[in-house]
Amino acid sequence: MAWVTWRQHRHQLLIGLALIVGLALAALITGLPMRTAYQREALSSCLPPTARSGCDIIVRHFQSEFGSRVDIARYLILLPALVGMFVGAPLLARELEQGTHRFAWTQSVTRRRWLLTKTLLLALAVTLSALVLSAIVMWWRQPFDGLEGRMSPSGFEIQGLVVPAYAVFALALGVLAGAALRRSLAAISLTLVAFVAVRLAVAKLLRPRYDSPEHETMAGLVPGAHARDWVLSNSLVDAVGRQISAGREDLAILHAQQARIDPQEYLLSLGWRRALSFQPAEQFWTFQAIEAGIFFAFAAALLVTTVWLLQRSPS
Amino acid sequence: MTPPLVMHGVGKRFRRRWALRDCTLAIPERAIVGLAGPNGAGKSTLLGLTVGLFAPTEGRIDVLGRDPRRRQDVLADVGYVARDAPLYRTFTVRDTIEFARATNPGWDESIASEFLTRLSADDRVSTLSAGERARLALAVALGKRPALLLLDEPFARLDPLAAREFLQLLMDGVSELEATVVIASHVVADIERVSDHIVLLSEGHVRLEGSVEELLSSHRLLTGAARPLGRIPGVQEIVRERHSGRQMTLLARLNGRVVDPSWSVDEIGLEDLLLAYMAPERLPGPTAPEKGRLRWHG
Repeated sequence: MAWVTWRQHRHQLLIGLALIVGLALAALITGLPMRTAYQREALSSCLPPTARSGCDIIVRHFQSEFGSRVDIARYLILLPALVGMFVGAPLLARELEQGTHRFAWTQSVTRRRWLLTKTLLLALAVTLSALVLSAIVMWWRQPFDGLEGRMSPSGFEIQGLVVPAYAVFALALGVLAGAALRRSLAAISLTLVAFVAVRLAVAKLLRPRYDSPEHETMAGLVPGAHARDWVLSNSLVDAVGRQISAGREDLAILHAQQARIDPQEYLLSLGWRRALSFQPAEQFWTFQAIEAGIFFAFAAALLVTTVWLLQRSPS
Repeated sequence: MTPPLVMHGVGKRFRRRWALRDCTLAIPERAIVGLAGPNGAGKSTLLGLTVGLFAPTEGRIDVLGRDPRRRQDVLADVGYVARDAPLYRTFTVRDTIEFARATNPGWDESIASEFLTRLSADDRVSTLSAGERARLALAVALGKRPALLLLDEPFARLDPLAAREFLQLLMDGVSELEATVVIASHVVADIERVSDHIVLLSEGHVRLEGSVEELLSSHRLLTGAARPLGRIPGVQEIVRERHSGRQMTLLARLNGRVVDPSWSVDEIGLEDLLLAYMAPERLPGPTAPEKGRLRWHG
């Protein structure tokens, strides 16, 4: 069966390999200048919480110079979806569409073994590729992760353990969509929609709750000390801790401006303070492990469902 | 020995339509079975149920002593070539054989290679002619050394010459393997030559089943003057009747001898017999008297 998997998916594997090599080259070309600048301007001495004077200018300059690259790298979150759409979805849908399942599933290898072997071998290949990709991104983003952290979604979702987990989940999702819909195009569309929906739901609803967030109340602006944490909420509260609406805050700032007082000082004089809730940067690997576990578990559940579906209504 | 294929009251419904209903049959071992019937009669469904591609809606199927749905491992002993011989179009001939070897532990290279002598190993399946493709599919099915071989419309896309050649290869392979064979075809002439057992389906029901010998000996054509029909001694069932002028001809299933001298009794060929059973229940209205050989399908 290993030969069969290789023969049927070798093009996809080669395209995936080419993609990784291409991304590695791109990472090298765009990453080296970033690292050089990081060294040259001694940004490591600007890392929170200790910040020497002039750091805010240096950091802002660094961010404005390389920020667009980091923004583009966020699109890497689409790669796992591509695995589901172009490897997972056609796996069964194409066989059913072209009628070749009547050939493949009537050999001595049982249908269940055929599906499990193929899917698990592909999952292995996908996991390895995703880990390589994740390592590349981690190396590439290192200067930025020092400054901005990797706990907020833009950094969290393209590196670490979640990358292979997302990819394997997308693969299993695509396979199930193909088994259920029996049409490649429909399966591809469903895979994309369902993948985005599940990813968003987990990121918005579950991830903030992996551990109870930390809270901190402080006077004045949000300090740089939390630059690397994942800030979940950031609101103004009055002296007794009641939340201040955005409208009232705007009014107060307008009032201060008309009276020609510094707005921040005015807010302080009212006794208003900032209340933060956040997930600290140190939680990165814990959260990575939890989220990866969730998506691998999803993938396993989807695979079991596919096997069941195939046994129940085989063709 | 138990029959290699047994069905008890098997029915299969696709959505609201019954493709097969009340199907009960037992295929004797080492028979060459012609599975006949018009298009849509349920032949493919019957074969699909046998290899577990479908689950029966009702009834019980027994393939080589096993339930093909619960025990998919039975497929190791069943060769199956689906309609239009589906193969991977992007595979070469070599790839296809490699696929068969990888998915069949009991793969027998020598049997398969007999079928591939005139195929180039590097040809892609998509470039093969219908005949070559059918040969390749048959090679894969026989290389498993099946005890039961199922072929769904194997001649559908073959020209007569290729069909004859295919049949010859098939018969050689089958006699070597001592396998039971079921050949589904809507073209009666194709299976008539080789079958020694017949299953005839019509509108999802088994209309006729039995060995060719027994079917031929139990059916006769009765010709005589047109008359109102009562019971005819020796006749179990009148399958078809046809009027031509003052004459009438009956296809009758007998349970004894017809002694009434007003009927002339003739034997009927297998093809005509099957076509008579396949014709719609109600024959079309009176037609002009036919010349030559009497046929039952028009």
